[in-house]
Parts: sequence; structure tokens; C-alpha cells
Amino acid sequence: MHQMTVRELEKAAKDIRIRLLTLCNKETIHIGGDLSSADIMTVLWQYQMNYDPDHIHSEDRDRFILSKGHASAVTSFNQAAIGCFDAEDVIAEYATDEGRFSMHSCNLVNPYVEVSTGSLGHGLPIACGIAAGLRLKGNYTSRVYTVMGDGEQSEGSIWEAAMNAVHYQLGNLVALVDFNGLESDGTIDEITGLKNIADKYRAFGWNTIELDGHHIGQIKEAFDGLPPADSKVPTVFVCHTVKGKGVPFMENQRRWHAGKISDEQLKESIELLEKEFEGGGSHE
Amino acid sequence: MNKEKSFLRNVIGEYMTTLGEKNENVVIVNADLAGTCRNTSFVEKYPDRAFNVGIAEQNMVSFAAGLSVEGFIPYAFSMAPFLTMRALEQCRTDVAYGNRNVKLMGVYAGVTGGISGATHWAVEDCGIMTSVPGMSVFEVSDAILARKLMDYTLEKEGPTYIRIGVEPTENIYNEDISVCTGGSVLAKDGEDGMILCSGVVVQYALEAAKRLRENYGKQIGVVDMYSIKPIDETAIEKAAATGHILVAQDHVEHGGLGMQVANVLVKKGLQTRFSYVGLPDRFVPMAHAPYLYHEFHLDGEGLAAEMLKLWE
Repeated sequence: MHQMTVRELEKAAKDIRIRLLTLCNKETIHIGGDLSSADIMTVLWQYQMNYDPDHIHSEDRDRFILSKGHASAVTSFNQAAIGCFDAEDVIAEYATDEGRFSMHSCNLVNPYVEVSTGSLGHGLPIACGIAAGLRLKGNYTSRVYTVMGDGEQSEGSIWEAAMNAVHYQLGNLVALVDFNGLESDGTIDEITGLKNIADKYRAFGWNTIELDGHHIGQIKEAFDGLPPADSKVPTVFVCHTVKGKGVPFMENQRRWHAGKISDEQLKESIELLEKEFEGGGSHE
Repeated sequence: MNKEKSFLRNVIGEYMTTLGEKNENVVIVNADLAGTCRNTSFVEKYPDRAFNVGIAEQNMVSFAAGLSVEGFIPYAFSMAPFLTMRALEQCRTDVAYGNRNVKLMGVYAGVTGGISGATHWAVEDCGIMTSVPGMSVFEVSDAILARKLMDYTLEKEGPTYIRIGVEPTENIYNEDISVCTGGSVLAKDGEDGMILCSGVVVQYALEAAKRLRENYGKQIGVVDMYSIKPIDETAIEKAAATGHILVAQDHVEHGGLGMQVANVLVKKGLQTRFSYVGLPDRFVPMAHAPYLYHEFHLDGEGLAAEMLKLWE
């Protein structure tokens, strides 16, 4: 855990968004979901998680599994922010043939990726195995964090794991759902009618917290209020977010699931993000 | 040679307690088939090291991958069709892509599920699992071989699939055999031709060799290709030197051992008469396994007839 104020974290989240847009000016990235999860990822990586870039195999680290594997850029920029590598490296190497960073996270080339992901519905089940493994080893202090998408909740394997986590009393497991309401082919309501994600996790027996996934203060508070790692009930944060958050022309637009922006769009978007931040942010 | 028969799923399931004694990192993940997979003795002896995720094979494999991230050696047990087909993407992405030290244990291999029908058969699993990058694939034919292979899985790290039948098999080997990746066992030597086979079929190949010797005076050898991938290319070269190779496996012909052997023959430019037998390219109604082996020329009589065709 790192001592950072809400204001400092808001700045960090703004910087992450600028990095994302800078990369998005160079390459196609999954910008919509990167931006919707930018705030929760920033607070998770830069405030909450116990993760030392110089000791990435240390037993007492917290584990992170990116279940929505396409949010690789926002993960990499947050890892850069805590010193895993330079953010400039992410931009330079992204989607290059011998680079460490690309459309999804791959631990064959990037040792800071605990588990390679990309196909949906895998992260939560793997996180359960890790959480159970920690307990079996007698590690009752580390936590396992996983960030999922909302469309991903349609995968049956998520609910296999949701049952399993409660059954095995994995209180060291913290899942975050980036509930931005949009999936590839349309809105969540149009495609699956998967409305009450929080109710579903509650029904499965999870400690379920609903929060505004762009309210840094709320996110920080939710992490501060987590039950101890040696407790018996897994926690899920259902984070209400906006796909493309922070870039008005992308917000709630399905076509910005993935894409690339022009120099002009980049310049305007950065100006807007800086202005919003200078204006005090929306959630002081 | 001990002529008693063994049930290999029992041998393997029960041997898990020995593996558990040998290495404290050995854990089991079941998907509500601990009884079927005969590993309940481990579950009772090491309850903390045995997980049961319920009827959820995808979760079983991902969960096992997660345990391996933390340094455990998970053995994930299910029926071969559910393990290799329902949870294939988890086997491929979470286990193989991650190069995890997970052992995927598939019982009811081939048509040994017999009267349960095609839902409970795995006649495609070798084709499927051998195509997964980095996945080692083994098939067991005999109790001693099975135990040795289980010991070997503790030494050999990495993604591994073991196909295990449920038909009783004759005890073939003595303790002097050894097992390794890319290995095979010369179950019987022969200079006129060789039957390359695996699993439940090995015993039938030995019977075929006996028939061919007694009735036709032909000295036919039998090679147990228990390492399906990687495959023992040297054994194939030696077999080719006899001039007659028949490959037989309880698997559809496409993607099975026959094609793997054919591939080596072609790549190495080896000259030999060659044929292979397996299950046909269509779904077959449920029936007892021995009936199916007879129907598709995988029993002693059928294999002897198929071998003789190589001289036609």
C-alpha cells in the first residue's frame, strides 16, 4: 500500500489516460475499456497493491490477474508508474514484433504479467486457484486481485468460479467488475440483459460493494474497507463506469472498443483532461 | 509376465497417495468425479490438498493452473472427453500457453466408456491434445508402466495430458522398464513386422503377434508407443527396418497415433509397407468396448488380419 491522497491519485489517473491516448495516437488499442477501467486500475496499482517491481516473485506480494486481458495497455502504464519499466518503453514497443506489450498481456515476454490472458472468463477461475494455493501454503496475508469486464460475465466459467470462491472461503480474493455497460456488439442490456451484476454476486454469497468506478475517493475507500486477507468471504467491487471515460467523443460509443486517434484528437483530448483536472476533478 | 488384469484408472487413482507422500506439493483437483477417477484415497488422506470444484471442468483446469502458479503440482482428473473438449481452451490457454506444471488426467479414453456412448468416449483427444503447443501426451497400457509414468510426472515439469482407459488390461511388463518423454517400450521383438500401438490395444497387439506366429510363422513385434507426443522416432525407424508396420490405437484414425507415425515415416523418408487402424470417421452407437474393438479390427483377430494385408 502506498501513501497517496485522492488528489494525487486523480493526477495519476489523468496521467494514465494521457499515456493511453498517446499510445492510441500511434497504435490501435482497446481504448474504450482501458479508459473505463483507468481509475480503478490506478488506485489498485498505485495505491492498494503490495507489489515490489524489484522483487516480483516475492511470496508476500499481492497477485494480479487481468481477466479482461484486452485492458493490457492500462495495466502496463500502471505497472510503468510503479517502476516495472518505463512508460516510454510501452509506447515504443507496443504491438511491435519483438515487443513486451501488445493487444493482450503475455507473460512469455513480460515477467510482470502473472498469467497470460486475452480469452474471457479465465481470470476469475485462475485467481481462485491462486487464492486457494496461497491459503494452502499458509500465506494468509497476500491478496489476489482480478479485473473483469461486464460483457465477460456472460462466460459460464465466471459463475463456476463465483460458486467456487465462496465454497472455498477465499476472503483473500478481490474481484473488480468494470461495469461500463457496453460489449462488442452493443449494450449489455441489448445483448444479454445482464443487468444486476451486483445482485448476482450477492446471491452467490460474495461481499459485494457497488461503487462509482470513476470516483477515486470511493474506490480508495472501498479498498481501505476490505475485510482482512485471512477472512472467509470473497469480495467483488461492481464498478459503475463509462466506456471511453474522459474523452467525450468516445464515451459510451461502441465503436471505441478499440481504435486509433488523430494528432488533433490527441491534442484536444489532452487539453480537456488537463483542464478537468485543474478544475479540481469531478470528485474532490 | 503376470497374466492378471488391472484397471488402470484404479492403478493411477490409487497411486496418487504415493505421489502425495513423495512430494508435498502434489495436489488434486476433481470435478465431481473423484470416485470415477478412483482418487478418493488421496482425498481422504490429504483433504487439504484435494479440491473439488463440482461439475465444472473449465473451472477445474483454470483452478489447477492457478495452483501451479503458486508452486503446486496439480493433477486435474476428469473423464477424458470433458477434460479435453469442454475444458480444451483452459488446457490450451491456462495450462499450455502459461507452460504450467499441470497434469491433465483423462479417464474413459478411447471407447472404453463403451455402453455410455460417444458422450463419454474420447476418440479425438490425442488429435486435440497433440496439437496444443508444448503439451506432452501419454497413454498407459499396463499397471507397472502407469506407476512408472506417474513417478516420472514428478520429475518432468510442464503441461502433460495422460489418457487412461477403463477397460481391464493384461499386466504386460516387469519392473525393469523405464519411462521418459519421447520413449516407447518394446513389448515384444519381431523381425518380420511391427505393430506400433498404445493403451488398451497393446494387449490385443500381443495377441495378434501370437496368432501370426502360431498360424503363419511370422515374427511380429509390438512397440508400446506410450509417449504419443513427443513420439519415439528411433522406435519408428527400427520398426520401418522390418518392412511392415501396422499402427493401432483406440482413437479415430484422424489425428491418432497412425497419423503421427505416418508423419515420421514421411519426414524421414523411410520405406516400409504401412497401414493403420483406428475408429472410423463417424459416430458409432454405444456398445461394449470389446464388441467395438472386434468391429473395428482393433482386437487380436482384427489386428492379425490387418497385419497380414501388408503382405498382399
